[in-house]
Amino acid sequence: MIRAMKYLLLIYGNQEKWASIPADEWPEVIARQDAFNRKHRATGELIGAYGLADEVQARLVRRENGQPAVTDGPYLETKEYIASFYLLDVESEERAHQIAADMPFADVDPVEVWPVLHEAKPDL
Amino acid sequence: MTARSAGSGEVEDLLRELAPQVLAALVRRYGQFHLCEDASQEALLAAALQWPAEGIPGHPRGWLITVASRRLTDQVRSEQSRRTREEQVAEATPPSELLAPPADTEPAGRDDSLALLFGCCHRDLSSPSQIALTLRAVGGLSTAQIAAAFGVPEATMAQRISRAKQAISGSGFDFSLPSGAERTERLRAVLHVLYLIFNEGYTASEGDTLTVPALSQEAIRLTRWLRRLLPDDGEVAGLLALMLLTDARRPARTRPDGSLVPLAEQDRRLWDQEMIAEGTALISATLPRGEVGPYQLQAAIAAVHDEAKTMADTDWPQILGLYDLLELAAPNPFTSLNRAVAVAMVRGPRAGLEIIAELEADKRMARHHRLLAARAHLHELAGDTAVASADYLAAARRATSLPERRYLALQASRLASVRSR
Repeated sequence: MIRAMKYLLLIYGNQEKWASIPADEWPEVIARQDAFNRKHRATGELIGAYGLADEVQARLVRRENGQPAVTDGPYLETKEYIASFYLLDVESEERAHQIAADMPFADVDPVEVWPVLHEAKPDL
Repeated sequence: MTARSAGSGEVEDLLRELAPQVLAALVRRYGQFHLCEDASQEALLAAALQWPAEGIPGHPRGWLITVASRRLTDQVRSEQSRRTREEQVAEATPPSELLAPPADTEPAGRDDSLALLFGCCHRDLSSPSQIALTLRAVGGLSTAQIAAAFGVPEATMAQRISRAKQAISGSGFDFSLPSGAERTERLRAVLHVLYLIFNEGYTASEGDTLTVPALSQEAIRLTRWLRRLLPDDGEVAGLLALMLLTDARRPARTRPDGSLVPLAEQDRRLWDQEMIAEGTALISATLPRGEVGPYQLQAAIAAVHDEAKTMADTDWPQILGLYDLLELAAPNPFTSLNRAVAVAMVRGPRAGLEIIAELEADKRMARHHRLLAARAHLHELAGDTAVASADYLAAARRATSLPERRYLALQASRLASVRSR
């Protein structure tokens, strides 16, 4: 039953929330996040860690007459949007949960943990 | 000692065969598992490039050990110039031995190869690390190949392998083989790792076969190799038989579009009869020897399925009897689930559903897609299509394999449309 499984971790936030962090605490916040990334990359479990730009930089793209048609948006209904995402490849769901709980702000805000579908073709 | 010409396929097979012997010889001589492993890989790579063009040398193993020893010496020298404190290998080895490449004098130790495999499957390592290290150090696959097979970036796999190598070479590599209960325990871990490699290969998407090695084939190759080392072990033979009898069905298991075909609907003419014959002969010869373990029982179950000309011909009472034994030998909720299906085939779906109801007492099991899928199947057999459809849909929502999810969702909608007709 054990096979390496990929999980996506999602952290949400918004400008208001980040602005509330005092400037002199930022270096420590960044250092904690870097330490988290280093620690879990070193074990070969963290495949990638990515932060997203502000929502004002996000765009909506459609295809019109075979060309990309770009508009502003998305205009989010929710107050918070995806701030960063992390791709894990781990032994078990328990391990994914452990790493999520190790995220610097997991004591304050929950981390979303999504299993990533794989292409395994089991014997039915 | 003359070189003879060879195709690259032949060279690759030979190199993979020699990989653990070369590494074991190096670690024996120099200690420093992780440095030796790097040097051994480099020697294999050099051979893979040279031999197809220049021919296989008269003593391929000696050639590899010599080249690997030189690489190791170079590596130690460059380490020394960078960090003079790092003199572990040089200190542990007389300089003459480092500079003079060893001749191919020591015979490849059967026990050393086995110790290597035991080390790679060390209990301190997570199973993804055990798998990666086994494939590299014993299987002779490159980090890039292993990364491709598992769908992770090479850098991630390199970290995983490097960390694993350090973990097992930290206190010096242990070549002593355990005995008694400890040996049984360690061998069980090794067999589990081989079984996981087989299942990864058995289930992983077919990628570019040139770059992504077929892990099921690799698992079979390694298990054959282990069986040559331990010819009298029933569970090693059982695992090999299980792999052969399962892999034999692979051609029938998916349609050209990648969708799954359940056992009941497979075109049995596509099954590999040669593999079935080999697996059946192996398990038939092994079972009467006694000490029947879980792999032998699973192989026996696979053999009963494989010998049935049609699904209707399946000897379900015999399969149920084997599941009864398997449940005793290795209690596991998934074994109980499979047994419930066998019970349904022998005594009717209601009897199977009763067993599944008992398994639902375990909360995690109750939500598992396999339980929901089995329950759906039995409800369908009982003629309760509404419940079956709902269960298939619930199973689809919980499955993390995309092909399996599609299959389950299809069953749900098939039954829903039967009802609406």
